[in-house]
Amino acid sequence: MSRIFITGIGIITALGDSAEKNRQALINEVCGVSPLTNFDTKYAGSRPCGEIKKPTAELQEGLNAHEHGVTRTSVLALHAFNQSVNDAGLSIAEISSPHTAVIGASTVGGMCLTDELYNDANMTTGSGSEYLASYDAASVVLYLQSRYQLNGLLNTINTACSSSANAIMYGARLLKNGLVKKVIAGGTDSLAKYTINGFNALHILSPDLCTPFDRDRKGLNLGEAAAFVVLEKEENLDGKKVYAEIAGFGNSNDAFHPSSLSNEGNGPYLCMQKALEEAKLNPGDIDFINAHGTGTENNDLVESKAMLRIFKTSPPFISTKANTGHTLGAAGAVEAIYSILNLYHQEIYPAIHFQQSIEETGLSPQPDYRKTSLKHVMSNSFGFGGNCTSLIFSKA
Amino acid sequence: MYIHDYSYISPQHTFRETDIASIVEYTDNKLTAIEPGYADIPPGVLRRMGKAVRIGIGAAMPVIQHQSIDGIIIGTANGGMEDCIKFLNQIIDYDEGMLTPGSFVQSTPNAIAGQIGLLDKNTGYNITHVHLGLAFENALLDAFMMVREHPGTQYLVGAVDVISSYNYHIDLLKGTFRKDLISNKDLYNTTTTGTIAGEGAGTLRVNDIPENAVAQIRAIKMIHTEDENEIKAALQDFLRQQVNPNGAPDLFISGENGDERLLKYYRAAESVFPDDTTIARYKHLCGDFPTASSIALWLACYKSPLPNHCIKRPGSLRQHQSIVIYNNYYGKQHGFVYLTKYQHSQLLLNFLYDAGTGCRFFPVFMI
Repeated sequence: MSRIFITGIGIITALGDSAEKNRQALINEVCGVSPLTNFDTKYAGSRPCGEIKKPTAELQEGLNAHEHGVTRTSVLALHAFNQSVNDAGLSIAEISSPHTAVIGASTVGGMCLTDELYNDANMTTGSGSEYLASYDAASVVLYLQSRYQLNGLLNTINTACSSSANAIMYGARLLKNGLVKKVIAGGTDSLAKYTINGFNALHILSPDLCTPFDRDRKGLNLGEAAAFVVLEKEENLDGKKVYAEIAGFGNSNDAFHPSSLSNEGNGPYLCMQKALEEAKLNPGDIDFINAHGTGTENNDLVESKAMLRIFKTSPPFISTKANTGHTLGAAGAVEAIYSILNLYHQEIYPAIHFQQSIEETGLSPQPDYRKTSLKHVMSNSFGFGGNCTSLIFSKA
Repeated sequence: MYIHDYSYISPQHTFRETDIASIVEYTDNKLTAIEPGYADIPPGVLRRMGKAVRIGIGAAMPVIQHQSIDGIIIGTANGGMEDCIKFLNQIIDYDEGMLTPGSFVQSTPNAIAGQIGLLDKNTGYNITHVHLGLAFENALLDAFMMVREHPGTQYLVGAVDVISSYNYHIDLLKGTFRKDLISNKDLYNTTTTGTIAGEGAGTLRVNDIPENAVAQIRAIKMIHTEDENEIKAALQDFLRQQVNPNGAPDLFISGENGDERLLKYYRAAESVFPDDTTIARYKHLCGDFPTASSIALWLACYKSPLPNHCIKRPGSLRQHQSIVIYNNYYGKQHGFVYLTKYQHSQLLLNFLYDAGTGCRFFPVFMI
């Protein structure tokens, strides 16, 4: 089966609206988590978030995205999608080709419009809002379809917080199976009253800046983002710039609990193991890990244990969720791009907000920025329902 | 890819004590699933489940109880939207006050695949496709790739969608459903806009073993367009490349749903088939929902020939071995599935990837 390479990346997070701005922020230990300003929720002051400070109207203006019913989630996606296809130098004909697949991922979709959804869902008469067709997760890819008149295979994946890691995996598999020639895959989620209240009700939203892998971590910060990558087969590269190879991927179900991971971390362990098998690598070959690392009591302990189980001594790792917040359906693609940047620039980024190791595991994330030789970087994403995905990127 | 077991919970008697000779009538435009007793699910677990998770697990049980599977692949447009709106209403009604997280956790569409995995203690591949009217077709394609990538493995592939206040109210406002009440038996005798709502959960066990298979899924094609001429051309290509260069399938199962706005697509599709081909419909049995094409696949597996109430045009063939299923959602998302019934001695796992440059449509997947 063909080797698959990343030829374009596009991203918008609280750290910035391009890959280079995100990279500079990571190098300079910038934290994008702050009090909410763009929308009204009771938790605006008490639950900081990785918010993109541009209001939706401003984002729409910049992209000339004024279509009926377009949502913030779709606009963020369009921003990252445009950037990724421009970066890969895809022509309009290549983007809309029947041989190009677009695989999206989102958990919140148009439910970022929580109040509008409430009104529409509880209304039986009248005409409803302009967002009637925009609430579901598929609405993002369907928006991209109408915007670009896409003719290829389209799909949307929702496996909660691992959604866009799975979208990238699905895209890579479509290519390996010879079903398409190019894939544009990624994810998007915007902040919503819906998710803020959901995670808050689970008591896993931190009132402070989150501290992944720290002994005294208090939970996660939510964030918003969109990120897309362009995947192409080795034989179709034609000398174009490549960022990295996607060498391995694995998905496993923890099969333990709807919203927390098993003590032994079976799902995390198995997905890393499957990704290593797919990439034909040994644990010792992994040079760096972008961990899931949400900053919750449960995740960071279990992920640490699973990492120790598979690696014996863990390679350097960080969780960039301390910088961006947990961007849910976008997180897998955001962190895939950070892993790709690690490889492309041969550098690793420092963990922020970390002070003391979890006693049981004793792991400390990478303390400082470093230029170093990297061949293989792993990116982990775990979601509700026990859904665990690990991706491995390799130096091109 | 071969189908071995198949199971369906629908508004008709499709589960366990199966009987589709007569139709269960509904007169309120909402065809709700006839749920079994769920004796296999612990009552404490059952109580906490939303309907989508419940019927999804119910439909999966007969398959996973007797077979070891290597992964779970679900297509659902909305998953547990009932719980989603329950939680949403709490947020607004209690002004973001003290909320219980149960509904929030259940509201993620992958709760269905996650819970099936939990009950089955299945740590294999677990995925949820949510691409609205093509969520199930994408799930089938995923299963096909898994079987091909990992010879000797088998998967549970499912489709689940339910009527919830979310999708019912919103789709009603969107004009998807009829405003006047009709019997599902009269679904096709109308010339108005809108259809009737339905729900269902179906599962299949698929692998690469032809022996004792019920059917073989041989090709899937998905396109996004609003132009009925493209549907016609796409179907012609599909038939030419996949079914038989000179012939046609024995049976065409159409997703016609009583909405006159969508009739042009189904008519365009029907016009492609010669008079010999039998044309059948099924949405009078289950109503319409984004993953409704799954019940067409169930019907194709379950019954040959189909009962008379499903037949739109008899055709001239007594046996229906080669079958094409076409469904469209909102006139924008279109899916074709080609399957053959009975055993095939030769594995046809190498799909024909036609990179032909003249093809306007996504190349057909030969499965």
